[in-house]
Amino acid sequence: MLGAAFLYMGIHKVLDPAEFLRLVRQYDLTNNSLILNTLAAALPWFEVFCGFLLVTGIAVRGAALVTLAMLLPFSLVVLKRAIAMASTQGLAFCAVQFDCGCGGGEIIICHKLIENCGLMLIGIWLLFCRPQKLALRYSLFGQA
Amino acid sequence: MVKPSAKSVFREGIIIALVGAVLAFAANALSPKGLNLKRNYFPGDDLATASPSPSGNQTTTNGLINVPVTEENIVARLKAKGLQPLGTSEVKKLFDDIRYQQSSLIFIDVRSDHEYEEGHIPGAHHFDYYYPQNDVGPVVAACQPAEQIVVYCGGGKCDASEQATLMLRDNAGIAANKLFLYTGGMTEWKEKNFPVETGPRNSGKLMDSSHGK
Repeated sequence: MLGAAFLYMGIHKVLDPAEFLRLVRQYDLTNNSLILNTLAAALPWFEVFCGFLLVTGIAVRGAALVTLAMLLPFSLVVLKRAIAMASTQGLAFCAVQFDCGCGGGEIIICHKLIENCGLMLIGIWLLFCRPQKLALRYSLFGQA
Repeated sequence: MVKPSAKSVFREGIIIALVGAVLAFAANALSPKGLNLKRNYFPGDDLATASPSPSGNQTTTNGLINVPVTEENIVARLKAKGLQPLGTSEVKKLFDDIRYQQSSLIFIDVRSDHEYEEGHIPGAHHFDYYYPQNDVGPVVAACQPAEQIVVYCGGGKCDASEQATLMLRDNAGIAANKLFLYTGGMTEWKEKNFPVETGPRNSGKLMDSSHGK
């Protein structure tokens, strides 16, 4: 499920990197164009790669760790922006709606944060669960 | 449950991160929609001045976050950057001006190829601001003899027209007093049921105005 989510979100962004660039810019993370462009250019493909690994069962724990490393800071950044928008526009937090750049257009922020928490829990579970029979190569270094 | 070694999981993560990064950069370089990492796509953001805002809200360097998107805010921000914004009625007058037929007045659409083909102001030149390498040369050539150039995109929160105008002024050497920005963009143009051409430039195929948007 985590792999499929990342594959879907990554492919959605890969198809329109310019749009993803515009969305990443809205978070005002950096004034440096090289860093901004690198994030927007590389992150979607990186998501597709990690999603592919998870779906095919290759290096699952490592891929889960990397997806957690992406999910956590991204969720915090989205949360920060939603709080700022709620404050500026005088909206209830769960009424805030915008295109977070996650893939899939505008979302209600509460739904996205709950979804991300669910994905993070799946990621944490994958770190500790036993290797699955259908996985191609569950661990890069043999039995973990 | 098998308890994984933290060290091996961490090592696996590092390898995936490194391999993933290499593949990501390679894919971006090979993809026809890949981004140019060295390009500053938002030159207007370097002018880190606070735009005047009726509500008194703070703005960030790109002037977009946390600021209500109103015509007043957009016009104020554009003027602060030395640009010349135009409203829909002014743009329609220019569209009807005889000089538009004589090419001494031109329109430039800077949206994506797909959006342009779906519908644009009749006779408008086109280059995709985010992928200009394909079409910007002929457009810049058309700008040289023109007395007035109106640049537009989708309108609303779309600021590609702003960035493209700055690019034409600062990189292509087009005189600032010739450049104008249609703030309402294609959204407002269609809302007014003004003529919309589909397909390539000067195709002659006009969208049925009863469709509205």
